[in-house]
Amino acid sequence: MLATQRLWPWKLLLAVILIGMAAGIWGAVNRIDYTWRWNRVPDYFFYIDEESRQIPFDGRVKSIIENGDVTTVALLSETGETVQVAIETETLRVTEGEELFEGDIVGFASEWSLGPLMTGLWTTLWLSGGASVLALIIGMLTGLARISRNYTLRGLSALYVEFIRGTPLLVQIFIAYFFIGTVFDLSRNVAGMGALAIFAGAYVAEIVRAGIQSISKGQMEAARSLGMNLIQAMVYIVLPQAFKRILPPLSGQFISLIKDSSLVSVIAITDLTKSGREIITSTFATFEIWLTVAAMYLIVTSVLSQLVFYMERRLAVSD
Amino acid sequence: MIKATNVTKIFTGRGQTVRAVDGVCAEVAQGEVVVVIGPSGSGKSTFLRCINGLEQFNAGSIVIDGVDLANKKTDINKVRAEVGMVFQQFNLFPHKTVLENITLAQKIVRKRDRAAAEAKARQLLVKVGIAEKEMEYPSRLSGGQQQRVAIARALAMDPKIMLFDEPTSALDPEMVGEVLDVMKQLAREGMTMVVVTHEMGFAREVADRVIFMDEGKLVEEGTPEHFFTEPREERAKLFLKQVL
Ligand SMILES: Nc1ncnc2c1ncn2[C@@H]1O[C@H](COP(=O)(O)OP(=O)(O)O)[C@@H](O)[C@H]1O
Ligand SMILES: [Mg+2]
Repeated sequence: MLATQRLWPWKLLLAVILIGMAAGIWGAVNRIDYTWRWNRVPDYFFYIDEESRQIPFDGRVKSIIENGDVTTVALLSETGETVQVAIETETLRVTEGEELFEGDIVGFASEWSLGPLMTGLWTTLWLSGGASVLALIIGMLTGLARISRNYTLRGLSALYVEFIRGTPLLVQIFIAYFFIGTVFDLSRNVAGMGALAIFAGAYVAEIVRAGIQSISKGQMEAARSLGMNLIQAMVYIVLPQAFKRILPPLSGQFISLIKDSSLVSVIAITDLTKSGREIITSTFATFEIWLTVAAMYLIVTSVLSQLVFYMERRLAVSD
Repeated sequence: MIKATNVTKIFTGRGQTVRAVDGVCAEVAQGEVVVVIGPSGSGKSTFLRCINGLEQFNAGSIVIDGVDLANKKTDINKVRAEVGMVFQQFNLFPHKTVLENITLAQKIVRKRDRAAAEAKARQLLVKVGIAEKEMEYPSRLSGGQQQRVAIARALAMDPKIMLFDEPTSALDPEMVGEVLDVMKQLAREGMTMVVVTHEMGFAREVADRVIFMDEGKLVEEGTPEHFFTEPREERAKLFLKQVL
């Protein structure tokens, strides 16, 4: 009781500090000459794309059927072929029976399209999603190799982990694209996803190794004493328990991967970060776009950590 | 059933070599209950673990039910399925329920179907006296209950031999009895058992033979009456004086 009673002053203090910081930033921004254009930001998520509808042949307008906002125009070619075109009623440019030549505009249709922020986000998501799956596979195998009894496997996996953890990701991306990508003729997407996967894989390997080693030897021995072979004991006994312990650091790694994926923008992959940069070159809405991009990364990563939190609770039933 | 000849196990590590088991010869006949006693560090666990291949011995031979463990062609997994082992720390699978702990190896090693495995598990749970706990996770059970589940898990494989490595040493005193009772019942049913224990009462009551080990060697061997009343060896006398 006492503890809850004493909590509110601290909550208040937190709120005051946050408001103070916001006010401070606001004041500082107002002193420089910057025109905020938040109203332009939504267009970079979704925009209405107005596209002309043309007649694909020489012919004439057979019929025009108006149906509220949408009008359907039936076009008849000289060879007797009919084509229907849907346009917005207000943009109708032809009359019934009119003769038209190929390419003449009948009217306009508009549809919602994804703006660069959304396509960039999508690129970021599939890039880091694909890299995560690959990293998990690489990391599992490498982690198992790290604790294998075979010297060669141990040596190879240790070298891989050391090399990746000892060099910057940015340099690895350059090597993957400009060196390996050139030699093996890889596209930038393959090189980018590959570099991310290999980078994260090394960290996943260490997480997996530590997770497996944290399961007591007695578990393996009990499984083996019942006649299970090494693989069965691993699959049914050790790995499921290790997985539970691995889950929090592993999800942290994947959240890092989403953020690290912003580095692939240096090899001209149009991910969320690159999209942001491109929008800014044409609009100069620098502040708004970077704040928006940051918020979008934040939303993705917090959704992911909530998901993991939920999974952890589900897995905790046997504790 | 078990014939061990000159079994030697040497641990090397950090420049030290330990002869954990040093030329042990022992035989266990079918249906016999052999209790192994001796001071801590005398190699009792290591010897027991050699019998089901959890440790590989460096010299000597162990033959179980006609199968030579030292033979490279021997499938150790087959041997282990015939030799149940109960550990001091229970080693139940914490991510599986009691029922799953007992059915898992039946299904994947003995290839029993689910119904058969569960029927067997339930029958054994009744036998060890915790039928009502089948859906619990091990962490919800007391130490004594966990150890009884571990015994049931080993028995579910229909082993020909049961090995026990200090099964009551990790238990609170009030739970020792319930585990020993299950073991006594097993002995009465004619199970071949090798039991490492400090429970001298159990040894007296149940053992057909007592083996005393010290510093990796089998020092003395005999019936409980003989061993507990008139041991020949000085080290055995000294040990008994300390524990009784
Ligand atoms: N895995 C191991 N590595 C190195 N030494 C070990 C290992 N297991 C046991 N030993 C050593 O072997 C000897 C016998 O141990 P153990 O069989 O556990 O004895 P007991 O069960 O009679 O207490 C001890 O000196 C112990 O330190
Ligand atoms: Mg021991």
